[in-house]
Amino acid sequence: MSFSKTRTRITRTLAAVASVAALTFILLPAQAAAGLNIVATTSSLGALAREIGGDEAEVRVLAPPDRDAHYLDARPSFMAALRRADLLLEMGAGLEEGWLPAAQRGARNRAINSGQPGHFRAADKVELRRSITKDGPNMGHVHEEGNPHFNADPLRMAEIGLALGERMGELRPDHAEAFMERAEAAAERLREHAEKLAERVEPDQRIVVYHEDLDYLEEWLPVEIVGYLEPAPGIPPTARHLRSLVGDLEGTDGAVLYAVFQPERGAEFLERHLGWPTHAVRLDPPDEKALEGYLELMTTWAEALSQR
Amino acid sequence: MPNHTNLFRPALGGLTALALAVPASATAQQWETRAGDRNWGLDISLILEGIYYNELSHGISEPAGFDDGHDHGHGDGHDHGGFDDGFNLGHNELAFEANLGDLFDGFLMLGFDEDHLDVEEAYLTTRALPGGFQVKAGKFLSDIGYINSRHGHDWDFVDRPLVNEYLFGDHGLQETGVQATWLAPTATYTKLGVELLQGDNSFIPYQGSGGSHTTNAGDEIGSSFSDVSGPRLVTAFAKFGPDLGPDHAAQFGISGGYARTWQEETEHGSGLEEWDGDAWFAGLDAVYKYSSGRAYGHGDWRLQGEYFYREIDVDYQRREDQTTIAGNAQGSGKARQDGLYIQGVYGFAPRWEAGLRSEALGLTNRGLPTNEGSERNFAEPSFGTSYRHSAQITFRPVEPVFLRAQLSQNDFVDEDGDRDRGLEFMLQLNVALGAHGAHRF
Repeated sequence: MSFSKTRTRITRTLAAVASVAALTFILLPAQAAAGLNIVATTSSLGALAREIGGDEAEVRVLAPPDRDAHYLDARPSFMAALRRADLLLEMGAGLEEGWLPAAQRGARNRAINSGQPGHFRAADKVELRRSITKDGPNMGHVHEEGNPHFNADPLRMAEIGLALGERMGELRPDHAEAFMERAEAAAERLREHAEKLAERVEPDQRIVVYHEDLDYLEEWLPVEIVGYLEPAPGIPPTARHLRSLVGDLEGTDGAVLYAVFQPERGAEFLERHLGWPTHAVRLDPPDEKALEGYLELMTTWAEALSQR
Repeated sequence: MPNHTNLFRPALGGLTALALAVPASATAQQWETRAGDRNWGLDISLILEGIYYNELSHGISEPAGFDDGHDHGHGDGHDHGGFDDGFNLGHNELAFEANLGDLFDGFLMLGFDEDHLDVEEAYLTTRALPGGFQVKAGKFLSDIGYINSRHGHDWDFVDRPLVNEYLFGDHGLQETGVQATWLAPTATYTKLGVELLQGDNSFIPYQGSGGSHTTNAGDEIGSSFSDVSGPRLVTAFAKFGPDLGPDHAAQFGISGGYARTWQEETEHGSGLEEWDGDAWFAGLDAVYKYSSGRAYGHGDWRLQGEYFYREIDVDYQRREDQTTIAGNAQGSGKARQDGLYIQGVYGFAPRWEAGLRSEALGLTNRGLPTNEGSERNFAEPSFGTSYRHSAQITFRPVEPVFLRAQLSQNDFVDEDGDRDRGLEFMLQLNVALGAHGAHRF
């Protein structure tokens, strides 16, 4: 079997494929230049992008807002959306590692490759809290970079908004000024709203959460996380762990917060044995809304705590 | 084939692709590294698997009509399908993934068990071609069908579906070559692809010229095959995935392939049998996933099915010595065979899944032409259909670990048309260590 012959053949075929590729690229109608086509992994990022982009951006959110963004499939529809995107927004720090790399590769769109201006990784723009996943034994769910659930912190979201406004301006210089103005306004509203909500909450609140996905509430509300329903990140509550939580917290006051997609049984156990109120909260705002949706979500988090 | 040859060829393919992609990328925007992007290093993952196998009752070992072609090139006994009674080190994998800027992703997967180490996949994927194109070069699992390109730890059952194993081999259609795909800029996911593959280790056996066989009588019979240079197999596929909202997702595929050469031989003490011709196949695949939105896969559904048909068109002869045909054992004919499976998996509790799979092999089952009786008369045999039904329960205590129990009832038919049932039990422990790559749909 002749090796060089095979190679020539492959080279020739590749050359043919390349010419077709080049031709198609030239002939494809140029994308509507005005609107920035943004794909965001979560609806928190989507809300920021909508607010900053206004009429100059089309925003599509991949993760359903009431689902755990850790565990999704790299769906064909995600790749179809990313194929046409000018800008991909991700939280990063491992939140989407189970599915986004596969979707990005499958999208065949260089503009959104890691390292390109069309790829925006929010975790790069803010300092992250240390993740508790680094404390326990390595059970395959370790966030080395830090806790990726910073969407629960409006102050960090404000910083991310500013960085995002700048990036969107780099991609569409014509609108750079408008993007930056809206980003600044959004940051201002986030900080004001956070301050206002924090003032209404009774000081020194204590909460138990399910996963480390609400830890960032500590950054802007007068609240302290005193326990997790999960014995280790990614492992559902065990009876033994819940009993030990009850033992530790007996006789104290607090509340239990968990995400709408998390099982309620652990929270109910604490409610029965400690008398603590439980609240199923959303982690991300409903899709299709701009900043307003995120501000309302902040309110639901704050109002799950005792009010002055 | 020694492993270094396997590594050499992908490297050549990769270089060709590199030569091609670099000028293309020069016209695209210049690439830059942004601080903080961590997706540049080498990711290593190790997948370890142990299987306990118990044959509760023995039926018929192999479904009729699929002797030839199946297991070709694996004379080393490296057989994923056949387990020993008792404990087995299953199919273990060591995978390396790295990238060259945002130009290429490189992937190497070594598969091993107690005795063997195989390069299962070694390829480069372009990440920077314009217009939705992507080229993959090296040794890889073909993207035909659905399960063919997936490794064992992504399967919902312990073993490979019969249709994939018996039409494409113990590793599926795994070949060295080049794949080009294009993703349409449409809201409905539409992917088209072609593959040029060497074609010598799975679905198409290849012998080439120069072989010879010495009979018990001492006659040397020279091979009648001629050399056919690669690539000898071309495949094409299309996949569609409509956007069905947050709860539902589906993908439908159609694929086919043509092998311009199909050469197989069987040596006997009394002579040499040869089949020489070409072959084609075509199939349909579909997968549907329902996501309940609850934690740990509780309430989720996955349904998946595939059908493949293949035809092998060959000239057949059985010789006693260089020139003498045994009896009337000569002629042309077609083998026509197909198979399908359908399976469903349901998350009946958090971290627990149960699944059912039904399979049929040889709904059409015309075997390769051969000879019959002491007269050695040319014959085109026809066989019955074999079935297999499997049930599994899977528990995932933590994300990277699963424990699966599977019961399979095979209802195979043998070459005489006799049918018998066998029952197998399998217990599989699979652990993924290190970086585990993102899951494909």
